[in-house]
Amino acid sequence: MTPSRTNPKPPPLRLKTLSDPATLAQTRRAIEMFAAQCGFDETARGEIGLVINEALANVIRHAYQGATDQPIELSAQNTDEDICITIRDWGVGINPLELPPKKHDPLKPGGVGLICIRQMMDEVEYRKQPDGMLLTMRRSRLRPKVQGAKEAC
Amino acid sequence: MSEPLKTASKLVPAARKEGDALVASISGEIDLNNSPELRTTLLGLLARSPSKKIVLNLAQVPYMDSSAVAVLVELLRKLNGGKIFLTDLQKRVQGLLEVAKLSTIFKIVPTEKEALA
Repeated sequence: MTPSRTNPKPPPLRLKTLSDPATLAQTRRAIEMFAAQCGFDETARGEIGLVINEALANVIRHAYQGATDQPIELSAQNTDEDICITIRDWGVGINPLELPPKKHDPLKPGGVGLICIRQMMDEVEYRKQPDGMLLTMRRSRLRPKVQGAKEAC
Repeated sequence: MSEPLKTASKLVPAARKEGDALVASISGEIDLNNSPELRTTLLGLLARSPSKKIVLNLAQVPYMDSSAVAVLVELLRKLNGGKIFLTDLQKRVQGLLEVAKLSTIFKIVPTEKEALA
């Protein structure tokens, strides 16, 4: 039985969590389960879970600079075309996509999370808020095998 | 000749020196929550048993994120020209390594036995 056959239109998912790395696995699993209910296959579910993990890790490390008690809100919505996921934080409001581009060197740490977000999602938008950041990401149901993200929704 | 090495972390349930290679099995999902423990454990093993060749069996790692990748890259840099073999990769881990283009800096082989051959 696949969730897509029994419930092709699950209600939107809304999660409130904290900027604690100990919450990552639970949140990752929740979004993967939601993606399964939306009918995404195993590979897509794994990539969506990884992207959410990386985006949340960026919030923890950069927006909240390692503080473990700050709020994060995540939502996920199923549409006919895609899954749309938002992550809201109330941190320092840095848009990683506006940082100067640098050539990826596998021997230098850093940047892998952003590469995953760009490559595994179809649309990525960081929208600065007066008190933080709103990240919106979309993953299409009809995604070609190799594709990168557009930097605006 | 194989010499068992003690580890205090459940993330690395088994390690040994096999000839000139340091061989370790990693277990569990690795993310920002436990990658610091993995880092401490692997760097500790390398300090106690210096080697230019490390073989990491990832058969029991269903998931890892970029923080785990950073640990592996740091370990590789500590080897100063040595090599890290990653074996028995699960599908999701293999996908991450491909996206991060790490298959160019690590030796990815199907089994631990082949890494030690």
